[in-house]
Parts: sequence; structure tokens; C-alpha cells
Amino acid sequence: MSEVQRKKYSDKEKSTIFDQEFMPHIDSMYNFGYRLTFDEDDAKDLVQDTYLKAYRFINSFEQGTNAKAWLFRILKNSFINDYRKKSKQPAKIDYQEVETYYNSDDVDYGITTDLRVDAVKDMLGDEISNALNSLAVDFRTVIILCDLEGFTYEEMAKILDIPIGTVRSRLHRARNLLKDKLRSYAQNMGYKTDEEE
Amino acid sequence: MNKNLESEGERKLSCSDVSKCFKLLESILDGDNIPESQEILNQKLAKCQPCFEHYHLEKAIKEVLRTKCTKHAVPSELVASIREKIQDIK
Repeated sequence: MSEVQRKKYSDKEKSTIFDQEFMPHIDSMYNFGYRLTFDEDDAKDLVQDTYLKAYRFINSFEQGTNAKAWLFRILKNSFINDYRKKSKQPAKIDYQEVETYYNSDDVDYGITTDLRVDAVKDMLGDEISNALNSLAVDFRTVIILCDLEGFTYEEMAKILDIPIGTVRSRLHRARNLLKDKLRSYAQNMGYKTDEEE
Repeated sequence: MNKNLESEGERKLSCSDVSKCFKLLESILDGDNIPESQEILNQKLAKCQPCFEHYHLEKAIKEVLRTKCTKHAVPSELVASIREKIQDIK
């Protein structure tokens, strides 16, 4: 996914790539944008900017390679570089804290939760979505990429420009935070947790 | 009692290396390219209760995220707007 210009496509080839390899991902792109910004107009702007950049830099895309990961990386960069700068999002808090505090590969895998499988399976879509949306953007992002969009660790590392070890540890940390949220929903739903027994 | 404990007699109740095991289980669940992953998985789930519980909980959460998270329909004018702007820069 380097930015080096490798190809020189004709206008017809560009249109073909755009229609057949880029546009089929617009659903995923829009939902990614929406889950980052929580705003329909902002999501539209992000997706539109991403597709315009993709077209402008289409010569650095190799036909037949992973267009979805390539597009996600552009959208993620647009979100960080453009959207966050002009919005009031507390980017410094999100990023600096995450980078210094949670990014260590030395994650405590011993953290356990009393959340139960049955309680998770019975949860409503809104509860799952709200729990995900409540996470800081960097944690939310890895769960979206891995669990909702099915990217591999290697693809996520390229999309996010971070090492695979960091992908693993950030994902694990994100999942623990998500479980904390889901557990509180489960308790509110009246499911028993081990703590109460 | 948890129905997952039916074959409890076979499984140890504490994991000697939770950190390493959970990391490995999550990698397998996420489809990371782990050699002999199916055999490792079968062995861990058969012999270790914490691993068994962790794996099934992570699997359930992954599944509900994939199937239940709210999806937003792409606004109808977005595709047309993108195509129009592409024409402008052509």
C-alpha cells in the first residue's frame, strides 16, 4: 500500500477500476465513516473525499490488489488529518493517552470478566452498537476493522500504520473495554453475573 | 450451573499461562495464520476451563458485533455526488 506511483492507467482503465474495485465498498466505507464521526454529513464528506483522493491517486493502486484496505487507509488518514483538525474532537486526549498508556505490547491478558455467553447472545443491536460507540475512537476502530469488516491483522497494521503486535494488543484492550460495557448492560437486563452469585 | 461445565472433570480450572493462551486464542478466532491452529484450539478447549470460557465469550461477542451492529444505508445522493465530482477532476 505504498504511495509510489506504479501504473499509468488510461481513462477507460481508471473508470473500470473505480467502478469495479472501488465503488462496491461504498457501504462499508460509509458505515466506517459514520462510526468514526456519528454524523451523516461528516460521514458523507469523509467518504466523498476518500473516493476523490482514490481517483486522484489511482495510479498508485495496483489493479486486482486489496482495494478495500487501500480505501480504508485513505479514509482513516482523512479522518485524522482533515476531520479531526477542523472538528472539536479531543484528538490529543484520544491519541496521546492511547499511544502512551495502552499501546504497550505488554497487555495484561489475565483480566477476566464474568460476562456470560447467553447474555451476549440475547443483546439487542442497539445495545451492541452503543457499547461499541462508547469506546474511544482508536479502540472502536480496531474492533470495526477486525470484527465488523473482517480485516486481517496484517491488513489492519497497514491501514493504521502500526506494527502487528500493536494491533493485537490494542484489539485485546478494546475487547476488554467492550466487555466491561456489555457486562453493565447485561446486569441492567437482569442477567445474573458470577459476582452476584 | 453453566452448561459449559458439563465436561468439567476433564478441564483444569486455572490456566498456567493465561496471557499467552488468550492471545493465541484471539488470534485463532480472528483467522490469523497460526500453524496447526485447529489442533491447538481443540486441545486448549478440551483441557482448560478459562481458555474454554474466554474463547466462547470472545466468539459470541465477535458474532453479535458482526450480525447485530446497526448498519446505516448509504444516502442515495452520495454516489451521484461522487461521480459528478470525479467528472470535474477528469
